[in-house]
Amino acid sequence: MKKFLIWLLMIAVAGAAEPVEILVQGAEKLEVDEIVAALEKPVKTNIGPFSFWTGQIGGHRVAVQLTGQALINCTTSTILAIEEFSPKLIVNQGTSGAQAPFLTLHDIIIGRRAVDYSAFITPVLQVGQGSVALDWTPQPQRLRDLKTGRLIEFPEGFAGDAGAMTVAMRTRNPMGRVFPGVIGSAHEVNLEMDRVRWTHRIFGMDVEEMESGHVAALAHAYGIRYIAFRVVSDAPYEGIPFYAQAARATGLFTVNFLRNMPAL
Amino acid sequence: MRGHFLRAFLIPLFFAGVIACVPRAFAAEQVDALLAAASDAELQPLLAKLRDSHQESRAAWQFWIGTLGGKQVVATRTEGDPLNAVAATTLAIRLYAPKLIITFGSARAHDPLLRAGDLVLSGKFAAFDGIISSVVPLDGGSDSLSWQRLPHPLATLGEKETPEYFFPADVKALEVAKTLMTPRGKVVVGVLGSSAQTNREADRIAWIHAHWNTSCEDGESAHIAGCARLMGVPVIGLRVIDGTEGEAASRVMDFLEARK
Repeated sequence: MKKFLIWLLMIAVAGAAEPVEILVQGAEKLEVDEIVAALEKPVKTNIGPFSFWTGQIGGHRVAVQLTGQALINCTTSTILAIEEFSPKLIVNQGTSGAQAPFLTLHDIIIGRRAVDYSAFITPVLQVGQGSVALDWTPQPQRLRDLKTGRLIEFPEGFAGDAGAMTVAMRTRNPMGRVFPGVIGSAHEVNLEMDRVRWTHRIFGMDVEEMESGHVAALAHAYGIRYIAFRVVSDAPYEGIPFYAQAARATGLFTVNFLRNMPAL
Repeated sequence: MRGHFLRAFLIPLFFAGVIACVPRAFAAEQVDALLAAASDAELQPLLAKLRDSHQESRAAWQFWIGTLGGKQVVATRTEGDPLNAVAATTLAIRLYAPKLIITFGSARAHDPLLRAGDLVLSGKFAAFDGIISSVVPLDGGSDSLSWQRLPHPLATLGEKETPEYFFPADVKALEVAKTLMTPRGKVVVGVLGSSAQTNREADRIAWIHAHWNTSCEDGESAHIAGCARLMGVPVIGLRVIDGTEGEAASRVMDFLEARK
């Protein structure tokens, strides 16, 4: 299997594919199914363990990518995708847990910014003094600016592309409402309401998930336009548990967005 | 055979469109090892020894390519966090196809038996940042010592995921690393843990050690190992507990020498 993976990677490395205008990402199969189904003349490619489907939607040349969940998968696969397809815009979309009380199942948040909330430094506590998560100090994602050599901190995360935001806010969600908001990423599922309230207060997060803040950092590093859409698939304030099929809403919304988006 | 070929390739091709896996010439340089460390200070002793070297960069990440101890290597700076580390590692794999990844540097002890100067070799790696909490209503507080581990669901061919709590280290490289000596401590085989966290609560460190079996923590090693596992590249980790500047780099030089 190892040699096969290397072989697949080497095939891809040998020469980048034809560039695409838009790279559309989803972490799980349910999150990309509607978009792959909308592709005209789809062509499937594998790079390492990751699957891509290229084709046309709304006049755009698009690559749809299954990133896998969380930082290791999405960072690895996004770097491979950028190097392979040189996209002008990245759309990261999928499901999320509501962190704001006004959100309910099938609502979609358009990411006016996306932030990694996984990094922190704890206070110094001795044995027997416990662990106080609500006292942890967040640490910002940093990226190096190679022109100046400086490491730049991004405590607010990364802003969504203004042009893509405008189009997204005019796009119909066939299954719920649409709001601009803040998307937070970490390899965490937070169901303690006090911590949910804390992340909302500290980071301004409206929803939590596992990829968009990380992909936003990579897009920023490459200077690629970026936007994230997240449908609410579970709403702890309302006691709504995870509903995987909510992914269909963001898939259909993304197809509508691609059809509304003017040429890049 | 034709029947098997039809079932294995042509039928999926019919449903998925034309599969674009047409072999092309391999264009990347291939190096013996990728040397990944968090900072300039940790890399510098090795960069100073690089022969016939040149530098390349991509987006926010830099690579130094050259010869070290007679081997062709590439070095990169991971910035000490998972995102930068995985990004730099992925780029290095794509651009330079290393035969082995060496993640090295300093680490903070989780195992109470470890002392400053001890060298921990990666028996395996744990990216211990995955958690899921229980449902607790408002004003019920947050208890991080009651959280459960969340594995990393590594992408697997065929649009599948394989949940993994630990990532393996290369067995042959580990055998070589076991021959190393360290001037101010002992050499142990353990679990290198990483996350974007700096844990200084004794009870939480004990919780991570108990649940993930971590020997120590740093900002990138297990995430690099996860990336290496995704891409099928062997990996080894060398971590000095509370290491001094250049200490881990010296062990990397020893390792490269022992590997000849």
